[in-house]
Amino acid sequence: MAIINQETVYGYELSLKLQNYGLKVSEGSIYPVLLRLQKEGLIKGEFKNSPNGPDRKYYFITKQGINALEEFRNNWEKIKVPVDLLLYKEQIP
Amino acid sequence: MNSKELIEINNKKRKKLTAENLAYYENMLVYIRLSHDKAEQETEEILSELLDHLLDAQAEGKTAAEIFGDKPRQYADEIIGELPGIVTKKRILMFIMGILYFMAVFSFLHGLLNAIFYYAFGLGSVYREIYMGSAALKFFISLPLLLGLYYLVIQYLRWSCFQQINKIAEFLIFWVFGILSVGLFLAVLYFVPDFGLKFELPFYFFLLMGCILFLTAQKVKNMV
Repeated sequence: MAIINQETVYGYELSLKLQNYGLKVSEGSIYPVLLRLQKEGLIKGEFKNSPNGPDRKYYFITKQGINALEEFRNNWEKIKVPVDLLLYKEQIP
Repeated sequence: MNSKELIEINNKKRKKLTAENLAYYENMLVYIRLSHDKAEQETEEILSELLDHLLDAQAEGKTAAEIFGDKPRQYADEIIGELPGIVTKKRILMFIMGILYFMAVFSFLHGLLNAIFYYAFGLGSVYREIYMGSAALKFFISLPLLLGLYYLVIQYLRWSCFQQINKIAEFLIFWVFGILSVGLFLAVLYFVPDFGLKFELPFYFFLLMGCILFLTAQKVKNMV
Protein backbone atom coordinates (compact mmCIF):
# COMPACT_ATOMS: atom_id res chain seq x y z
CA MET A 1 0.00 0.00 0.00
CA ALA A 2 2.90 2.30 0.66
CA ILE A 3 3.91 1.83 -2.96
CA ILE A 4 0.41 2.48 -4.27
CA ASN A 5 0.36 5.59 -2.10
CA GLN A 6 3.40 6.96 -3.94
CA GLU A 7 2.07 6.37 -7.44
CA THR A 8 -0.60 4.45 -9.29
CA VAL A 9 0.67 1.09 -10.47
CA TYR A 10 -0.55 -1.99 -12.23
CA GLY A 11 -0.03 -5.53 -11.01
CA TYR A 12 3.18 -6.40 -12.79
CA GLU A 13 4.79 -3.05 -11.94
CA LEU A 14 3.86 -3.52 -8.31
CA SER A 15 5.46 -6.96 -8.11
CA LEU A 16 8.67 -5.62 -9.66
CA LYS A 17 8.75 -2.70 -7.22
CA LEU A 18 8.27 -4.99 -4.24
CA GLN A 19 11.18 -7.08 -5.45
CA ASN A 20 13.30 -3.97 -5.82
CA TYR A 21 12.66 -3.22 -2.16
CA GLY A 22 14.02 -6.66 -1.40
CA LEU A 23 10.71 -8.29 -0.53
CA LYS A 24 10.87 -11.85 -1.77
CA VAL A 25 7.18 -12.51 -2.31
CA SER A 26 5.89 -14.78 -5.02
CA GLU A 27 4.59 -12.59 -7.84
CA GLY A 28 1.15 -14.15 -7.94
CA SER A 29 0.51 -13.61 -4.25
CA ILE A 30 -0.11 -9.89 -4.71
CA TYR A 31 -3.44 -10.47 -6.49
CA PRO A 32 -5.42 -12.00 -3.64
CA VAL A 33 -4.13 -9.14 -1.47
CA LEU A 34 -5.09 -6.52 -4.08
CA LEU A 35 -8.58 -8.01 -4.24
CA ARG A 36 -8.95 -7.88 -0.49
CA LEU A 37 -7.77 -4.27 -0.27
CA GLN A 38 -10.27 -3.37 -2.99
CA LYS A 39 -13.08 -5.12 -1.17
CA GLU A 40 -12.25 -3.18 1.98
CA GLY A 41 -12.24 0.05 -0.02
CA LEU A 42 -8.61 0.89 0.80
CA ILE A 43 -7.53 0.94 -2.84
CA LYS A 44 -9.33 1.29 -6.12
CA GLY A 45 -8.60 -0.07 -9.56
CA GLU A 46 -9.28 1.63 -12.86
CA PHE A 47 -8.61 0.69 -16.45
CA LYS A 48 -6.33 3.18 -18.17
CA ASN A 49 -4.22 3.28 -21.29
CA SER A 50 -0.70 2.28 -20.51
CA PRO A 51 2.12 4.00 -22.40
CA ASN A 52 3.46 0.72 -23.74
CA GLY A 53 0.97 -2.00 -24.45
CA PRO A 54 -2.70 -2.62 -23.70
CA ASP A 55 -5.11 -1.05 -21.24
CA ARG A 56 -4.24 -2.05 -17.74
CA LYS A 57 -5.89 -1.87 -14.40
CA TYR A 58 -4.06 0.76 -12.38
CA TYR A 59 -4.45 0.89 -8.64
CA PHE A 60 -4.62 4.01 -6.57
CA ILE A 61 -5.14 4.59 -2.88
CA THR A 62 -8.39 5.91 -1.39
CA LYS A 63 -8.86 8.30 1.51
CA GLN A 64 -9.73 5.35 3.70
CA GLY A 65 -6.56 3.67 2.50
CA ILE A 66 -4.41 6.65 3.48
CA ASN A 67 -5.91 6.57 6.97
CA ALA A 68 -5.33 2.84 7.28
CA LEU A 69 -1.75 3.25 6.13
CA GLU A 70 -1.15 6.01 8.67
CA GLU A 71 -2.57 3.82 11.41
CA PHE A 72 -0.39 0.92 10.35
CA ARG A 73 2.66 3.17 10.35
CA ASN A 74 1.91 4.32 13.89
CA ASN A 75 1.44 0.78 15.13
CA TRP A 76 4.61 -0.28 13.39
CA GLU A 77 6.58 2.55 14.96
CA LYS A 78 5.29 1.52 18.35
CA ILE A 79 6.45 -2.08 18.09
CA LYS A 80 9.56 -1.59 15.96
CA VAL A 81 11.88 -0.33 18.67
CA PRO A 82 10.78 -2.79 21.37
CA VAL A 83 11.05 -5.75 18.98
CA ASP A 84 14.49 -4.67 17.81
CA LEU A 85 15.54 -4.38 21.42
CA LEU A 86 14.19 -7.81 22.27
CA LEU A 87 15.83 -9.54 19.34
CA TYR A 88 19.22 -7.83 19.46
CA LYS A 89 19.50 -7.26 23.18
CA GLU A 90 22.87 -8.92 23.53
CA GLN A 91 24.40 -6.74 20.86
CA ILE A 92 23.49 -3.55 22.66
CA PRO A 93 26.24 -2.57 25.05
CA MET B 1 -14.62 -1.81 -19.76
CA ASN B 2 -17.45 -4.25 -19.18
CA SER B 3 -17.08 -7.97 -18.73
CA LYS B 4 -17.97 -8.82 -22.33
CA GLU B 5 -15.19 -6.60 -23.72
CA LEU B 6 -12.77 -8.04 -21.17
CA ILE B 7 -13.63 -11.59 -22.24
CA GLU B 8 -13.09 -10.70 -25.88
CA ILE B 9 -9.71 -9.10 -25.23
CA ASN B 10 -8.77 -12.02 -23.03
CA ASN B 11 -9.57 -14.48 -25.84
CA LYS B 12 -7.29 -12.59 -28.21
CA LYS B 13 -4.44 -12.10 -25.77
CA ARG B 14 -4.38 -15.73 -24.68
CA LYS B 15 -3.07 -16.73 -28.09
CA LYS B 16 0.25 -15.10 -27.26
CA LEU B 17 0.95 -17.55 -24.43
CA THR B 18 3.31 -20.47 -24.83
CA ALA B 19 1.70 -23.92 -24.82
CA GLU B 20 2.81 -24.63 -21.27
CA ASN B 21 1.64 -21.30 -19.88
CA LEU B 22 -1.59 -21.48 -21.85
CA ALA B 23 -2.47 -24.87 -20.34
CA TYR B 24 -1.78 -23.54 -16.84
CA TYR B 25 -3.69 -20.32 -17.39
CA GLU B 26 -6.71 -21.87 -19.09
CA ASN B 27 -7.17 -24.38 -16.29
CA MET B 28 -7.20 -21.50 -13.86
CA LEU B 29 -9.54 -19.45 -16.05
CA VAL B 30 -12.13 -22.21 -16.37
CA TYR B 31 -11.88 -23.02 -12.68
CA ILE B 32 -12.36 -19.41 -11.61
CA ARG B 33 -15.18 -18.76 -14.09
CA LEU B 34 -16.99 -21.85 -12.84
CA SER B 35 -17.22 -20.37 -9.34
CA HIS B 36 -20.71 -19.35 -10.35
CA ASP B 37 -21.74 -17.15 -7.45
CA LYS B 38 -19.06 -14.52 -8.03
CA ALA B 39 -19.56 -11.12 -9.64
CA GLU B 40 -18.74 -11.38 -13.33
CA GLN B 41 -17.14 -7.97 -13.73
CA GLU B 42 -14.63 -8.45 -10.92
CA THR B 43 -13.93 -12.02 -12.06
CA GLU B 44 -13.06 -10.91 -15.58
CA GLU B 45 -10.98 -7.99 -14.29
CA ILE B 46 -8.75 -10.19 -12.20
CA LEU B 47 -8.49 -12.77 -14.99
CA SER B 48 -7.30 -10.07 -17.37
CA GLU B 49 -4.78 -8.81 -14.80
CA LEU B 50 -3.41 -12.29 -14.26
CA LEU B 51 -3.09 -12.76 -18.01
CA ASP B 52 -1.31 -9.41 -18.47
CA HIS B 53 1.07 -10.31 -15.69
CA LEU B 54 1.75 -13.71 -17.19
CA LEU B 55 2.43 -12.17 -20.62
CA ASP B 56 4.86 -9.65 -19.14
CA ALA B 57 6.62 -12.37 -17.18
CA GLN B 58 6.69 -14.68 -20.18
CA ALA B 59 8.53 -11.99 -22.11
CA GLU B 60 11.23 -12.29 -19.47
CA GLY B 61 11.36 -16.06 -19.75
CA LYS B 62 9.37 -16.93 -16.64
CA THR B 63 6.76 -19.68 -16.52
CA ALA B 64 3.27 -19.60 -15.04
CA ALA B 65 4.28 -22.01 -12.29
CA GLU B 66 7.09 -19.67 -11.21
CA ILE B 67 4.66 -16.78 -10.88
CA PHE B 68 1.51 -18.34 -9.49
CA GLY B 69 3.13 -21.30 -7.73
CA ASP B 70 2.96 -24.99 -8.49
CA LYS B 71 -0.41 -25.45 -6.77
CA PRO B 72 -2.74 -23.76 -9.28
CA ARG B 73 -5.94 -24.98 -7.61
CA GLN B 74 -4.92 -23.60 -4.25
CA TYR B 75 -3.96 -20.30 -5.84
CA ALA B 76 -7.24 -20.10 -7.76
CA ASP B 77 -9.17 -20.85 -4.55
CA GLU B 78 -7.36 -17.97 -2.88
CA ILE B 79 -8.41 -15.63 -5.69
CA ILE B 80 -12.00 -16.90 -5.62
CA GLY B 81 -12.08 -16.45 -1.85
CA GLU B 82 -11.36 -12.74 -2.26
CA LEU B 83 -13.77 -12.09 -5.13
CA PRO B 84 -16.99 -10.29 -4.23
CA GLY B 85 -20.20 -12.31 -4.65
CA ILE B 86 -23.12 -11.57 -6.94
CA VAL B 87 -25.50 -8.92 -5.63
CA THR B 88 -28.74 -10.42 -4.34
CA LYS B 89 -30.87 -8.55 -6.86
CA LYS B 90 -28.85 -10.04 -9.70
CA ARG B 91 -29.03 -13.45 -8.11
CA ILE B 92 -32.83 -13.30 -7.94
CA LEU B 93 -33.08 -12.08 -11.53
CA MET B 94 -30.83 -14.90 -12.69
CA PHE B 95 -32.96 -17.41 -10.83
CA ILE B 96 -36.15 -16.05 -12.45
CA MET B 97 -34.41 -16.12 -15.82
CA GLY B 98 -33.44 -19.76 -15.29
CA ILE B 99 -37.00 -20.75 -14.40
CA LEU B 100 -38.40 -18.90 -17.42
CA TYR B 101 -35.94 -20.60 -19.79
CA PHE B 102 -36.74 -23.94 -18.22
CA MET B 103 -40.50 -23.41 -18.63
CA ALA B 104 -40.01 -22.12 -22.17
CA VAL B 105 -38.07 -25.20 -23.27
CA PHE B 106 -40.46 -27.48 -21.42
CA SER B 107 -43.55 -25.94 -23.01
CA PHE B 108 -42.04 -25.74 -26.49
CA LEU B 109 -40.88 -29.36 -26.45
CA HIS B 110 -44.31 -30.41 -25.21
CA GLY B 111 -45.97 -28.75 -28.18
CA LEU B 112 -43.34 -29.89 -30.65
CA LEU B 113 -43.49 -33.55 -29.61
CA ASN B 114 -47.26 -33.45 -29.76
CA ALA B 115 -47.13 -32.02 -33.29
CA ILE B 116 -44.57 -34.58 -34.45
CA PHE B 117 -46.49 -37.52 -33.00
CA TYR B 118 -49.74 -36.31 -34.48
CA TYR B 119 -48.60 -35.32 -37.97
CA ALA B 120 -45.81 -37.84 -38.55
CA PHE B 121 -47.19 -40.92 -36.81
CA GLY B 122 -50.91 -40.18 -36.52
CA LEU B 123 -50.79 -40.60 -32.74
CA GLY B 124 -52.83 -38.50 -30.30
CA SER B 125 -54.65 -35.46 -31.51
CA VAL B 126 -54.16 -31.77 -32.09
CA TYR B 127 -55.48 -31.28 -28.58
CA ARG B 128 -53.64 -32.33 -25.51
CA GLU B 129 -55.08 -33.00 -22.10
CA ILE B 130 -53.45 -31.12 -19.29
CA TYR B 131 -54.16 -31.72 -15.62
CA MET B 132 -53.29 -28.63 -13.64
CA GLY B 133 -52.45 -30.55 -10.47
CA SER B 134 -50.04 -32.96 -12.08
CA ALA B 135 -48.50 -30.26 -14.25
CA ALA B 136 -47.70 -28.21 -11.15
CA LEU B 137 -46.35 -31.23 -9.29
CA LYS B 138 -44.16 -32.27 -12.23
CA PHE B 139 -42.82 -28.75 -12.41
CA PHE B 140 -41.96 -28.61 -8.72
CA ILE B 141 -40.26 -31.99 -8.79
CA SER B 142 -38.22 -31.45 -11.93
CA LEU B 143 -37.03 -27.95 -11.05
CA PRO B 144 -34.92 -28.96 -8.02
CA LEU B 145 -33.87 -32.03 -9.97
CA LEU B 146 -32.57 -29.84 -12.75
CA LEU B 147 -30.79 -27.51 -10.31
CA GLY B 148 -29.22 -30.54 -8.65
CA LEU B 149 -27.98 -31.93 -11.97
CA TYR B 150 -26.63 -28.52 -12.97
CA TYR B 151 -24.79 -28.29 -9.67
CA LEU B 152 -23.32 -31.78 -10.14
CA VAL B 153 -22.02 -30.93 -13.62
CA ILE B 154 -20.40 -27.71 -12.37
CA GLN B 155 -18.80 -29.53 -9.46
CA TYR B 156 -17.48 -32.24 -11.78
CA LEU B 157 -16.05 -29.66 -14.22
CA ARG B 158 -14.37 -27.79 -11.37
CA TRP B 159 -12.94 -31.01 -10.00
CA SER B 160 -11.63 -32.04 -13.42
CA CYS B 161 -9.89 -28.71 -14.07
CA PHE B 162 -6.43 -29.49 -12.81
CA GLN B 163 -6.18 -33.18 -13.56
CA GLN B 164 -5.40 -35.46 -16.40
CA ILE B 165 -8.50 -37.52 -17.09
CA ASN B 166 -8.69 -40.38 -19.50
CA LYS B 167 -10.80 -39.18 -22.45
CA ILE B 168 -12.66 -42.47 -22.72
CA ALA B 169 -13.41 -42.53 -19.00
CA GLU B 170 -14.69 -38.97 -19.21
CA PHE B 171 -16.91 -39.84 -22.17
CA LEU B 172 -18.35 -42.80 -20.28
CA ILE B 173 -19.00 -40.69 -17.20
CA PHE B 174 -20.92 -38.12 -19.25
CA TRP B 175 -22.80 -40.81 -21.13
CA VAL B 176 -23.98 -42.59 -17.98
CA PHE B 177 -24.77 -39.25 -16.41
CA GLY B 178 -26.82 -38.19 -19.44
CA ILE B 179 -28.82 -41.43 -19.53
CA LEU B 180 -29.48 -41.28 -15.80
CA SER B 181 -30.70 -37.69 -15.88
CA VAL B 182 -32.99 -38.21 -18.86
CA GLY B 183 -34.28 -41.36 -17.15
CA LEU B 184 -34.99 -39.42 -13.96
CA PHE B 185 -37.07 -36.82 -15.82
CA LEU B 186 -38.99 -39.48 -17.74
CA ALA B 187 -39.65 -41.29 -14.45
CA VAL B 188 -41.08 -38.09 -12.97
CA LEU B 189 -43.34 -37.61 -16.01
CA TYR B 190 -44.42 -41.24 -15.94
CA PHE B 191 -45.07 -41.74 -12.24
CA VAL B 192 -46.92 -38.53 -11.43
CA PRO B 193 -50.64 -39.44 -11.58
CA ASP B 194 -53.24 -37.33 -13.37
CA PHE B 195 -55.16 -35.11 -11.00
CA GLY B 196 -56.49 -31.59 -10.72
CA LEU B 197 -58.40 -29.50 -13.22
CA LYS B 198 -58.43 -30.84 -16.75
CA PHE B 199 -57.78 -28.63 -19.77
CA GLU B 200 -57.67 -29.48 -23.43
CA LEU B 201 -55.24 -27.30 -25.32
CA PRO B 202 -54.00 -27.47 -28.90
CA PHE B 203 -50.29 -28.11 -29.47
CA TYR B 204 -49.69 -24.71 -31.00
CA PHE B 205 -50.71 -23.18 -27.69
CA PHE B 206 -47.65 -24.81 -26.15
CA LEU B 207 -45.41 -23.69 -28.99
CA LEU B 208 -46.66 -20.14 -28.64
CA MET B 209 -46.36 -20.27 -24.85
CA GLY B 210 -42.78 -21.52 -25.20
CA CYS B 211 -41.89 -18.62 -27.50
CA ILE B 212 -43.45 -16.03 -25.19
CA LEU B 213 -41.67 -17.46 -22.16
CA PHE B 214 -38.40 -17.53 -24.08
CA LEU B 215 -38.70 -13.88 -25.10
CA THR B 216 -39.55 -12.91 -21.52
CA ALA B 217 -36.51 -14.81 -20.31
CA GLN B 218 -34.36 -12.92 -22.84
CA LYS B 219 -35.72 -9.64 -21.48
CA VAL B 220 -34.83 -10.64 -17.94
CA LYS B 221 -31.39 -11.69 -19.14
CA ASN B 222 -30.76 -8.20 -20.48
CA MET B 223 -31.69 -6.77 -17.10
CA VAL B 224 -29.10 -8.88 -15.29
